[in-house]
Amino acid sequence: MQIFVNSKYDFVKWRFYAVSFSVLFMLLGLAMFLKHGVNWGIDFAGGATITLRFKDAVPMDRLRADLTSASIQQYGKAEDHAVLIRLPELNKETDYAGQVVGKLNTDLNPQTTTKLDLNFHGKDRLTELLASADPEAKGTAPAARDYYKNIAQNIVTRRSELGVFTNMAQVTSAPGVTTRIAGFLNDKCFLGAFNVLDQETVGPQVGHDLQQKAIFAVVLSTLAMGLYLWIRFDLMFGASAIVCIVHDVLMSLAFLMMINGEFSLNIVAALLLIVGFSINDTVVMYDRVRENRRKLKTRMSLEEQLNLAMNQTLSRTILTSGSVVIVLVALILFGGKVIHEFAWILLIGVLAGTYSTVTIVPAVAIAWNNLTGRKHDLAGPANRPTRVETKQDVPPQQRKRRAG
Amino acid sequence: MTRSLLWKVIIILAVLVGFAAAMIPTADNPEPIRRGLDLKGGTHLVMRVNVGDAVRLETDQGSEMLKAQAKKANLPIPTTRRVNDNTFIATLPAETPATEYERIAKDYLGSFDLSRTPDGALQFKMKTAVQTALERDTITHTVETIDNRVNALGVTEPYIATEGANRLVIELPGVDDPARVKDIIKTTAQLQFRLVEGEPGSTPEAAMTNVPANMKTEVDILPGTREDALGRSAGVEYYAIRKTVPVTGTDLKNAKASKSQMGQPNVAFSLTPDGARKFGDLTGQNIKRRLAIVLDNKVISAPVINSQINESGVIEGTFTPQQVADLSLQLRSGSLPASLTTLEERTVGPSLGRDSIRQGVLASLIGFIALILAVLLFYKGAGVNAVLALLLNLVILLGMMALFHATLTLPGIAGIILTLGMAIDSNVLVFERIREELRDGKMVRAAIENGFSRAFGTIIDTHMTTIISALFLFQFGTGPIKGFAVTLLIGLFASVFTAFFVSRVIFDVMYKSQNRPTEMSI
Repeated sequence: MQIFVNSKYDFVKWRFYAVSFSVLFMLLGLAMFLKHGVNWGIDFAGGATITLRFKDAVPMDRLRADLTSASIQQYGKAEDHAVLIRLPELNKETDYAGQVVGKLNTDLNPQTTTKLDLNFHGKDRLTELLASADPEAKGTAPAARDYYKNIAQNIVTRRSELGVFTNMAQVTSAPGVTTRIAGFLNDKCFLGAFNVLDQETVGPQVGHDLQQKAIFAVVLSTLAMGLYLWIRFDLMFGASAIVCIVHDVLMSLAFLMMINGEFSLNIVAALLLIVGFSINDTVVMYDRVRENRRKLKTRMSLEEQLNLAMNQTLSRTILTSGSVVIVLVALILFGGKVIHEFAWILLIGVLAGTYSTVTIVPAVAIAWNNLTGRKHDLAGPANRPTRVETKQDVPPQQRKRRAG
Repeated sequence: MTRSLLWKVIIILAVLVGFAAAMIPTADNPEPIRRGLDLKGGTHLVMRVNVGDAVRLETDQGSEMLKAQAKKANLPIPTTRRVNDNTFIATLPAETPATEYERIAKDYLGSFDLSRTPDGALQFKMKTAVQTALERDTITHTVETIDNRVNALGVTEPYIATEGANRLVIELPGVDDPARVKDIIKTTAQLQFRLVEGEPGSTPEAAMTNVPANMKTEVDILPGTREDALGRSAGVEYYAIRKTVPVTGTDLKNAKASKSQMGQPNVAFSLTPDGARKFGDLTGQNIKRRLAIVLDNKVISAPVINSQINESGVIEGTFTPQQVADLSLQLRSGSLPASLTTLEERTVGPSLGRDSIRQGVLASLIGFIALILAVLLFYKGAGVNAVLALLLNLVILLGMMALFHATLTLPGIAGIILTLGMAIDSNVLVFERIREELRDGKMVRAAIENGFSRAFGTIIDTHMTTIISALFLFQFGTGPIKGFAVTLLIGLFASVFTAFFVSRVIFDVMYKSQNRPTEMSI
């Protein structure tokens, strides 16, 4: 199937509409930013997040009373009985999440002082309890310990499959649990109110470091990219590429502001990818402009050169962006909560990258050309031959013979 | 097929088999591609080693040394005061010449720079080189100790590394009880055996009342747990404990969980030969006195010495079986030379990891299949070529990750997807060029030849820009993001190989055997 064969769209003509659209989109993002501020994730803001899965309905009132400074929201589907707790930064370095989990555990599970909580503790503690009580009378040999360790492991694996134990039958039906062990577990253990799905603490120092690193990474990689294109092409292309990258990143950020998404480390990774990936379309287009300049003997304005190259590479642009978009849409639809926002930002960045290549980049290049006395209008041999090009200049027949 | 083409096919098959083999799980390597903590569950910790602790200890030992040597030389004992981590000031008794103390400083306190304060006291400041070496040793020792503890816990493939001047990054995959593991790692576990003066009291003042007058400045007041008749804990009580520490945890040879005759859990220890001699002296000379077992400045218990003890003993207290197991583990692995502060923790429970990997893999599979269908729809015969190159790219990527022991994280899965996007882009660039050449009326073989050579420069440029951003990701990213950058970098190199070498060879095999192919499915 072939699309856009010999297309002759006048992309350059649309550039003012495109610039206005981008500016509007970014202004909308800015308005959202001014209204809500940045929803900094825990990576940068510091503080703690805890995800708990409850055995029964979530005791929301109890949690709110216990954790007055926290924001508590439902995590996943309502029937999962899971909550995400976010705690604001403390101004000192401590094991914040761990302490809060510990406090909730003693508050919600009063039995915990006398019995072992099978929803809270790990396999080591259970192994220890079983091995020291020895309900199957296996003695003190290392083999006995391994026997109990294996059972404890099976029980904990069962818990991770279920997310949380809701009744003791689920525990005692784990592989290897004998009647006597089941009796012992029923006697000495209990099912606490929740299982900890994850907990994170980021101290103020780390959050500050990460913030700095993220800004450095995005700014430096953008500059490095511009430098590379300046060396490979020329200053006009390098500069318009930087504008293009900044545009794509800002569009993604504006979108993040509009959905009030959380600004996390993963988002920084997505932005860095946009910096690297969305520029590809521009590089391909510039490559074509340069190639055409070498071939064309007639005089051609920069506008015409850009239009020609964009039309020549249009079907590649659509196909490549299309395949990445297909995959990203799959990630958005099926990838689960953790990569959802990450995939969205990438999607917007890739779309913005494609669109800016045919609109923003020409707009900048043409403006630059007009300001510098239309030096780029003249077609002629490339002024900066590279090694790659000399290789292309070898007639294919010769190369084939050499290879053979 | 010509000879050179045959060789190329053999190279490709060898690459395919080699990388595929690296991915296959074996008995000693059941998980060739390591899953990151976000997929497997586990704990990622960043901790600060408070190296100041070790420096402070060294400074305190210096001032003790000054006093001890002054006593030995029958000089009046100076009063000392630590002004900060690495400096202490000794105020000298007026009647004694300072030169006497300066001589002691020269002979015994070589690691300190000596100066005079305006009011005539001696100031001892630790030499910078000594302090730097001490801090470095503290970090090394801390890493070793944590490593011992983590290994004793049976964590598989732990990762412990230093970051910057005084930070540790600790990754513990598969840990399902983070609270306990953090406790075990963080407890400094400095064990000391020290003599008790007087009797314990319910307040610090009460503990002080029975201390002989000449010992009042030579004791520390430390808290301990009061036990009732049944050995259960019943509040706090205070002990006056001599400042001198005759025997410490470093004198232990071994420690293990044990039980008393009453069935109460305790820790049984044995001593090194040197430790046994010191312990024998201490217990032999102090029969009928109380000996405090102090752990991290808390009195665990303070039994009365009934007879001389030489080689082994037990530590009793109000312990649960778990505490006894943990304490003996900590004593075996040695004490930490400095305390730790948690700067960052990320713990993913195993069930969340399970969900994430299921969804991540499902989404990637769906995306991958959709991608393959789209490529086949657009390029028909050539699409098969692109799909083969894509599959080989995936094999190389995963095989390479297995060989480099790279970790597959959730963003890493996205990295793989994006790499496949880049790989497809290379194919698309080449195929579009071939189409153009065909439209210009070129013969099939010439069109292929020109398509590849014309697209080469462009593909190098697009890959270079992405490599630049991947390098920045690697440099500035942490944890999962680093894994992602590595995946991306490997994938980019693989994509250049598959797009130029493999796709080319496949076309050559398809069209070179025919004498003059006139039609191409693209």
